[in-house]
Amino acid sequence: MAATFFGEVVRAPCRAGTEDEEEEEEEGRRETPEDEEVRHQLARKREVRLLGRQTKTTLEVSLLEKYPCSKFIIAIGNNAVAFLSSFIMNSGVWEEVGCAKLWNEWCRTVDTTHLSPTEAFCVFYHLKSNPSVFGSCPRKNMQVTILTCRHVTDYKTSESTSSLHTPFLKALKTQNFREPPCCSLLEQPNIVHDLPAAVLSYCQVWKISAILYLCYTDVMKLDLITVEAFKPVLSSRSLRSLVKNIPQSTEILKKLMTTNEIQSNIYT
Amino acid sequence: MASQYDRAITVFSPDGHLFQVEYAQEAVKKGSTVVGIRGTDIVVLGVEKKSVAKLQDERTVRKICALDDHVCMAFAGLTADARVVISRARVECQSHKLTVEDPVTVEYITRFIATLKQKYTQSNGRRPFGISALIVGFDDDGIPRLYQTDPSGTYHAWKANAIGRSAKTVREFLEKNYTEDAIANDSEAIKLAIRALLEVVQSGGKNIELAIIRRKQPLKMFSAKEIELQVNETGKEKEEAEKKKSKKTA
Repeated sequence: MAATFFGEVVRAPCRAGTEDEEEEEEEGRRETPEDEEVRHQLARKREVRLLGRQTKTTLEVSLLEKYPCSKFIIAIGNNAVAFLSSFIMNSGVWEEVGCAKLWNEWCRTVDTTHLSPTEAFCVFYHLKSNPSVFGSCPRKNMQVTILTCRHVTDYKTSESTSSLHTPFLKALKTQNFREPPCCSLLEQPNIVHDLPAAVLSYCQVWKISAILYLCYTDVMKLDLITVEAFKPVLSSRSLRSLVKNIPQSTEILKKLMTTNEIQSNIYT
Repeated sequence: MASQYDRAITVFSPDGHLFQVEYAQEAVKKGSTVVGIRGTDIVVLGVEKKSVAKLQDERTVRKICALDDHVCMAFAGLTADARVVISRARVECQSHKLTVEDPVTVEYITRFIATLKQKYTQSNGRRPFGISALIVGFDDDGIPRLYQTDPSGTYHAWKANAIGRSAKTVREFLEKNYTEDAIANDSEAIKLAIRALLEVVQSGGKNIELAIIRRKQPLKMFSAKEIELQVNETGKEKEEAEKKKSKKTA
């Protein structure tokens, strides 16, 4: 039983199913050759493609191995990306090496071959002065840093939620990560989801030193206070050398905020 | 558990939560910060102005609204819900004046707004109002009042309070700094409001809007210049205080 929006009680769909329903489903399941062809086409469209910057041709994975890597930093989510671009990429010259593009049914464009640069799912940069800071192939002495955000309502704790000072940072690391993290570790029973979890699991399996910094915030859109919550990460050994000018970074961040502010008038 | 009991407003969860009301309180946190201070002879409302789009007329984005000559309110949360609540409150103020031949007391109109909000937490097919409001004003007896309402329909009187984004930070600041000295006179109370807002407003004076009501006087909205003046004075005082501190420690 479930209560709907209007308060009336409806019967929840039953997972056991009935005999009649099973027969109908069997008929529908038999695929025609046309269905198969459509499925193949969709699969081809949904392939992730890695493209080189200059050539816009497909970047072979073996070509990526040309770039040896000591540090790999990945930022997921708009606040983490804003932090990375203002504080870390601001110091030094970062060169775009390539990008990953993908298409799925939720994309607004239908054309899959000519995706514009703004539709890149992920862009790869490397530091011009120190090209070892980038790479995608797993190396034993590489260190991976992952930055991401999550809404504070996902955070499970036995303390009262009114005592939480959002935004706050939590860390999760692989076994091979020896440094002390810049903030407290993520307690049980909280779990990490999606891409950050995938990257961290990969690093744990391949014994790569990696740490994930997860910022719990109550504002999921681009927000200055949330981005600044990542600041303790700048004191970590791996990122310290990459940060040059913090006041300038703060200015850049403010500009980023104003240019990216979605003019939503729903909340005042 | 939440997913089964959070769709209908009229359904309690087994542990006594009305999830829709609690979610409405999350909507309030999406609105920009509002701070209210009750002084001895003045009430102050300060808000963080949201930056408007280039082509948008600034005057249509107002967070501080007069409900009557002697009462005004500021809200945080869903703009459209606020518009509905404010127009109902304004009508009630005039209706009360015509019926009873007396202007509303601040407590009366707050209770009216809170009752309206509570009705929407108990009705079928409606959702709660996604706004919290700070209502300030002077009664006929000359006593300043500050009330806060929230989406659940509760209201309380406060000496100083904040709602909206980062309200907790501002409230902690007020708890530390709201002293008898801080509200000794009108200008001190105004400065306290500005200092409280500057704790969370990133871009300084140009994103602050301020309104005051003095006893037996109508609502006064500060102009941008006046706010800039106050912010600069506050900044100077802060610098001087810090210099004194560093001298003491040195």
